[in-house]
Amino acid sequence: MAEARDPLRYFRIEARELVDQISAAVLDLDQQPGPDLVARLLRFAHTLKGAARVVKQTEIADRAHTIEEVLVPHRGNETALPTDDMRELLRLNDEIARFVRDLESPAENSAETPAEDDEPAPRSVTADLDELLDAIGEANARIAPLRDGRRTLARIHRGVETLGEQLRSGREPVDVRATVQRLASDLAGLGRRFTDAVDQVERELDEVRGRAESLRLVAAGTIFTALHRAVHDAAEAEGKHVRFVSGGAETRMGPQLLNQVNGAFLHVVRNAVVHGIEPEEQRLAAGKPAEGTITVQVERRGRWAHFRCTDDGRGFDLAGLRRIAAARGLLPAGREPDPQELIDLVLHGGVSTSGTVTEVAGRGIGMDVARDVAVQLHGSVSITNRPGQGATVEIAVPLTLLSMNGLIMEAGGTVATMPMDAVRRCVRLALDDAADASASGRLAYEGQVVPFLPLARALTPAAHGHANPGVAVVLTADERTVAVGVDRLAGTTTLVARPLPDLAPAAPVIGGVAIDLDGNPRLVLDPHGLVAAARINAGRSAPASELTAPPRPILVVDDSLTTRMLERSILESAGYEVDLAASAEEALEMAHARDYGLFLTDIDMPGMDGFAFVSRARDDPDLAAIPAILVSSRSSADDRRRGEDVGAAAYVVKGEFNQEELLAHIRRLIL
Amino acid sequence: MTVSVADRIARLRLDFDRSFAEPVRRHDEEHVELLAVHAGGRPYALRLAQTAGLHPDRPVTPLPGPLAALLGLAGFAGTVIPVYDLSALLGHPGPDRPRWMVLAVGAPPLGLAFHELDGHVRVEAEAIVDEEPAEGQRGCLRGMVRLDGAPRLIVDVPATRALVHALAGHIQVTEETRR
Repeated sequence: MAEARDPLRYFRIEARELVDQISAAVLDLDQQPGPDLVARLLRFAHTLKGAARVVKQTEIADRAHTIEEVLVPHRGNETALPTDDMRELLRLNDEIARFVRDLESPAENSAETPAEDDEPAPRSVTADLDELLDAIGEANARIAPLRDGRRTLARIHRGVETLGEQLRSGREPVDVRATVQRLASDLAGLGRRFTDAVDQVERELDEVRGRAESLRLVAAGTIFTALHRAVHDAAEAEGKHVRFVSGGAETRMGPQLLNQVNGAFLHVVRNAVVHGIEPEEQRLAAGKPAEGTITVQVERRGRWAHFRCTDDGRGFDLAGLRRIAAARGLLPAGREPDPQELIDLVLHGGVSTSGTVTEVAGRGIGMDVARDVAVQLHGSVSITNRPGQGATVEIAVPLTLLSMNGLIMEAGGTVATMPMDAVRRCVRLALDDAADASASGRLAYEGQVVPFLPLARALTPAAHGHANPGVAVVLTADERTVAVGVDRLAGTTTLVARPLPDLAPAAPVIGGVAIDLDGNPRLVLDPHGLVAAARINAGRSAPASELTAPPRPILVVDDSLTTRMLERSILESAGYEVDLAASAEEALEMAHARDYGLFLTDIDMPGMDGFAFVSRARDDPDLAAIPAILVSSRSSADDRRRGEDVGAAAYVVKGEFNQEELLAHIRRLIL
Repeated sequence: MTVSVADRIARLRLDFDRSFAEPVRRHDEEHVELLAVHAGGRPYALRLAQTAGLHPDRPVTPLPGPLAALLGLAGFAGTVIPVYDLSALLGHPGPDRPRWMVLAVGAPPLGLAFHELDGHVRVEAEAIVDEEPAEGQRGCLRGMVRLDGAPRLIVDVPATRALVHALAGHIQVTEETRR
């Protein structure tokens, strides 16, 4: 029925794919000429021609034929195609693409929607579906033992009934005991098989769920063809030779996000060609290769996706930027701005919208779009300028949904998943090695010493005296390698990680959360947080260093008993341990005897006052790092300023005293 | 005998007619629905209208972090919800894991866990002793109700939510008090 109503249904899908493949292959041919690519292009064009003829799309078939004619003379050649031929190929393919689009929704496409703003084609969907189907098949296969088990169960059942019958009728078998034992052992075996099979089915279903979830996501590589094309077109218009290099195509993310970044990056790469890459003679004079290079790299770091566009051109025109900024009064008073400040003006200073800066610095408009997209996606954009060497524009956006392969680990009774791409190796730990590593915070690995962190210590603060980890998972993030000790590994999984919900502040080792098969949250670790935590752990010699241990105690200093008690009750209610001092002198003495996390001090006290106490503590190397909050009935701006001058981290006025506000300060400071 | 039957009929008719003349009872205004609970060994009451669901034995995944009152995360139909220990929020944390959880009204999603559910009761509005929002401590408690002869403090869910927001760093700290 569907075919009868819509004979073009399948042609549209095929044609779209072929147009995409032709476009990518022509652009590749531009960079690496070779007979293989020509042959591949001929195949694509031929297939398209045949398919178009079948559905009577002569415009498309004719153009596919012309593509073949352009290519045929170059078949088997190692040399590059002449520029005119390349241009002709792209032009023909663009025309075909237009016809294909018109087939899809003739009415909509009459409007002039530029081709590059189209949503990237989810080209990898077929492969993903294949993998999903594989996973479903695997899950199905795991049910077979259960089916066999049913037969065994029936056999045991018959055995029991026969035995019962024999016992009832007095026809006892030769050895009742042996018969019962055999039945019992059959039952036990069956039980084990059932347990195994259910475990396996569960794991496979987990895999199916993960793959199905990741179908919602698209590989970053789907935008590369459009970016490559933009670079090609801009370079041709400018008469420059520019090479397009890409990396990180397999990183997956939501199609919406990718689409938006794509829109911004089309401007960014175009600007890099037009304003960044110098004309050939200038490049040669500067000792650079005649051909410029634009590199687009997509990388996932934790929950963030980084899109980088790097060119090897001339970099930003700092002198020009400085002139404009000076004219508009945007330069810092009394000093020369450093180059990065000038660059940042393009992004943040409001100069970016100015036409003049656009002309001088060149990249205003692209930067505007990049910044808008970054803001919309709650991300950021940054520029690194290397005068004479080129520039890098980077957009970093948080990923709300993130598909990843994970290693399931158990530690201290908690199950957590580690993103697989950070894992380098898993090493079984001998008992002694585990004890040494846990105590020293260091592990010998491949001839070097790497920081070691028992995961249980990071996940469960109360894991004192916990059994030594059995496996060390070696991981790399931020170009640093550390080892994390876990009790055991429980397999791998495909999962979609999402950010932690609001109202759930977590230790930095936690990167997000995924939903398991039962609908329960499962923690996803953050390799960057773990690397940082392991390095801190190794930095402290004593194993007692607890990363998520209860916060260090707070020392309350106040001459008023009522205030001391009130503050103590508030702080203890919030889970803090509190010591009390009735004077600043006493407090200084106590501060040296115990490792406090925070001082909460009154100002007006007999003897040394609060200002002096904070100032003394700041000057004392042992105490300088401990934040201090002043709590006073003085509310004048002068007092606040004085508090700030002596180094108080916050100032709370007693009259406006508010438990939540105080706790918010403390939480901020004591972490 | 016949007279008394006629009298009876007349009385019944009068009662029947009179019943229409009485004003309709307004349940919602005169009664308040409460959940009687125990948190950390102490009795409290929660207004049912301030909750969005009651769940026993919900698996909670512990979340390591700075807040002792945050028990962890629970999954509800694909949504991940932070669960706080009510007794810890009320200032008397205990070692036992709470068994019950109510979802607080409002956004973002928030679960409050307590140890025992004593029951669901409807009390007359007058039975609740209201209290001006008090200063200082016990910020989550508003008013009191007498149930089975014993007084119970009423946990105000929106106030508890406000405390959680503050603890989780959702508070606006004025620029002036910030360094």
